[in-house]
Amino acid sequence: MDSDKKKKMNRRTFLKGAASAAIAGSAAVTVGCEGKGLLGSSEAYALEFQEYFKKYYRVMTPVERQETVTRLEKLAKIKQDITVNIDTTKPGENVLFGYAFNVTRCEGYMECIQACVKENNLDRKSNTQYIQIFEMEPGQMTPDQGDSKFFHMVPQDGHFYMGVQCFHCENPPCVKACPTKATWKEDDGIVVVDYDWCIGCRYCMAACPYMGRRFNWNEPEVPKDEITKNQHYLGNRKRVKGMMEKCTFCIQRTRKGKLTACAEACPTGARVFGNLLDPDSEIRFVLENKKVYRLKEDLGTEPKFWYFID
Amino acid sequence: MKNPKFKESLFYIIPFYVLSFCALSGLAILFSSSAAFSSDMTMTLKVKKVTAKLDKATQVKAIIPLPKDIVKATMDYQGGSFFTEARKSKIQRFQCTSCHNNKAISINNASKISHDDIKIDHGDKEGPLSCNTCHYENDRDFLVTSKGSKIDMDHVYDMCGQCHFRQKKDWIGGAHGKRITYWAGERVVKNCTSCHNPHSPLFKKRWPKTYSVPLK
Amino acid sequence: MKKNTASKGIFSFIKDCLLWNLSGPISYQIYLCILVCLMMAGIYGYVVQFKLGLSATNMSNIVSWGFYISNFTFLVGVAAAAVMLILPSYIFKDKDLYKVAIIGEGVAVGALVMCMTFVFVDLGRPLQFWHLTPGIGQLNFPSSLLAWDIIVLNGYLALNALVPAYILYCHYKGREPVGKFYKPFIVLSIGWAIAIHMVTAFLYQGLPARPFWNNPLMGPRFLASAFAAGPAIISLVLHVVNSTTNFKIENKIFNKLRIIIVSAAVINLLMLFSEIFKEFYFPTHHSQSATYLFFGLQGHDSLVPWIWTAISINFIGTMILAFNPFRERQIILFPALILLIVGIWIEKGIGLIVPGLIPSPMGEVTSYAPSNIELLITLGILGLGMFVVTMLLKPALIIEKEYDDNHEH
Repeated sequence: MDSDKKKKMNRRTFLKGAASAAIAGSAAVTVGCEGKGLLGSSEAYALEFQEYFKKYYRVMTPVERQETVTRLEKLAKIKQDITVNIDTTKPGENVLFGYAFNVTRCEGYMECIQACVKENNLDRKSNTQYIQIFEMEPGQMTPDQGDSKFFHMVPQDGHFYMGVQCFHCENPPCVKACPTKATWKEDDGIVVVDYDWCIGCRYCMAACPYMGRRFNWNEPEVPKDEITKNQHYLGNRKRVKGMMEKCTFCIQRTRKGKLTACAEACPTGARVFGNLLDPDSEIRFVLENKKVYRLKEDLGTEPKFWYFID
Repeated sequence: MKNPKFKESLFYIIPFYVLSFCALSGLAILFSSSAAFSSDMTMTLKVKKVTAKLDKATQVKAIIPLPKDIVKATMDYQGGSFFTEARKSKIQRFQCTSCHNNKAISINNASKISHDDIKIDHGDKEGPLSCNTCHYENDRDFLVTSKGSKIDMDHVYDMCGQCHFRQKKDWIGGAHGKRITYWAGERVVKNCTSCHNPHSPLFKKRWPKTYSVPLK
Repeated sequence: MKKNTASKGIFSFIKDCLLWNLSGPISYQIYLCILVCLMMAGIYGYVVQFKLGLSATNMSNIVSWGFYISNFTFLVGVAAAAVMLILPSYIFKDKDLYKVAIIGEGVAVGALVMCMTFVFVDLGRPLQFWHLTPGIGQLNFPSSLLAWDIIVLNGYLALNALVPAYILYCHYKGREPVGKFYKPFIVLSIGWAIAIHMVTAFLYQGLPARPFWNNPLMGPRFLASAFAAGPAIISLVLHVVNSTTNFKIENKIFNKLRIIIVSAAVINLLMLFSEIFKEFYFPTHHSQSATYLFFGLQGHDSLVPWIWTAISINFIGTMILAFNPFRERQIILFPALILLIVGIWIEKGIGLIVPGLIPSPMGEVTSYAPSNIELLITLGILGLGMFVVTMLLKPALIIEKEYDDNHEH
């Protein structure tokens, strides 16, 4: 009897302790969630609730795509007080984008990086940049032997410059690795990410041989007056923490016939962009007439980004 | 005694076979989905085989506007005719013949005021180009080739291309210079002097527009 | 506690298990309280991480996987190691190991729960995990190795939780479990255990972007280190069970486990030597990751003392266990087991994941050390794992002891 009573007491004290710990724990979680602003505007909350349950982009009907775009535009108005226009433009017919980089012409000015950051609404807080420009010694061929953290007058004597970004491979290892199919290659060759479908496991980042992908470790911050308002669902729309993102060959521009922001910004004309399936295009001229090479050719990823010299 | 033992062992044998079958078929699907061994031709070669002329209108559904202030180039590129940026409207003191008209000039230090900012850094140090190498003495609104033919300032590429013939060939094809804003639609490219100062054409050293931070 | 067999049902099974779990001497209650405190600390850490995003950790675009995935890798091995108890018990009909097979399965379930929790806290958007469900979401099977990993880990958890639950329930009711209901699944779990660890190894092995990982020895090496560290952990648990409960475990069981551990540990060391030879006999640019790990690169050498310590204690532990003079009192081998486990944990955890990612594919070298939040969350998950193992083993041992006493087999 005594031992039974002792057992009961031990159980009771334990349960008491466990209950109070559980209350403390749930209080902590609520406080944590409140900081996320879940108890904010009810319309924003309702829109976000619907957004949480939406389907995978590739199986959405055109009506559903329009609905989600409308919700996202409304959320942008409510939360950031800006009017954005989010496209869902499909790829054009007979288009396969290709890119060529003239290593002789790049002088390290980094105007491409500045334009890319502005065009794609990249996070200013963590200095996210899709493009890296490497300063190379003569005799080196691959950027892993170069320095991308330079900041001095350019071009430095005795150095040359080359840029890397996502190369939009035809055989992308990142697409193969993604467990939820959140990243895929579109018909016009652009490797895109459905940001809302991504669970943030970062397996694609481990799989990419070219450091082409970036992860939002923190909530991205873009100054309101610098936000580019012409956006694409798969391109430069607002991303939040925990999602993967990458260069999209400026899908919001290129599907409307415009050059990518980096190609347009380059003051020396080192960047050539166009349609690989058009035999008259500049990119095809480069492939036919110039000595072109690609990086890490031995990996068989078939990037659509070539380097050439004059 | 044989029967129960055989039944017992079935409980071991059947799942083993089931598991091996699942594993092997999973692996077969995994490897067959790999594109690596589907062909031994790289994408560069595959793309080069696509030579059928494209109906450029189907590439993009949007209407591509044509920029203002362009001229049609004097030659064709591989895809037909193309346009380049007009130059004359961007030259501050064009029409040159408003001063250079063989009349007396009444302003003091006129040449200093109008042309002092021009420093010729074109050609080598011992023998730089002189003004008359490119500018037509008899009609200052035009440029001149070494053979004496007049070149309109909008078509400056025909003159630059005399010495810089490699860059001109690349410029016509698209490996030199830059398209203006659009990759689709009519081809409009930058002119030589849109990017290069004709009197001092080399790009100058400058600070990069931004910098990259080391990742933590 | 002799009750009528007829009145025992599934509800009384659950009720009795809960009662057994919550009752015990004061030392046991304190132990449970410590575990709950660890879990609370982990929850607090996770709340901070959920608010800030993964920038609360020290991971970056270069070292995109860190402490969480390192621990996940090690613990999948521990989970797979239950097969080293199941295989002798059920296929080779070893009676001694048969007695402790259920403990091995309990440890495996605990390790699997820890694995899945580590993956959950590592995700950038964990609330969107339903995107992985085939049907309502998209599962990139069979292309993505992560999809394979999810399937095999969940399957193994089901096998290792349901089969012992069935056996225990039958023993609780005082009857022999029906062979055809569970024996096929036991056989399945043997092959499946090998599968889970090979698939986890293939996660890294299948990435040509990472030359440190892209070698054929990863899969077999994972199995060898798992079958060394896993049974070692199970040995530790058995020592604890032996000293704290009245479920007595004979010395010869520990000796058999020791033989399994030593065989696997020696093979692991051999494979380590093979990898070191490949990296350093003729170093290429692909050996930069190994150089970073063993000697430091461009001034970054934070992992160098860790890896050399890990290999030394791994070697010392293996030697002690191999040539042990204490055959009669196996508990003296306790420190050697700990040395081996810690050595393998370092070398297979942080000593595998972080160097694989450094230098970046574009040549950048950086350093990584887990942040305080990562350590806090890891402690919480450790508490969770120990809690799960305790909750599973305590009733299991009571039921098994009672069944053994009543059915002198």
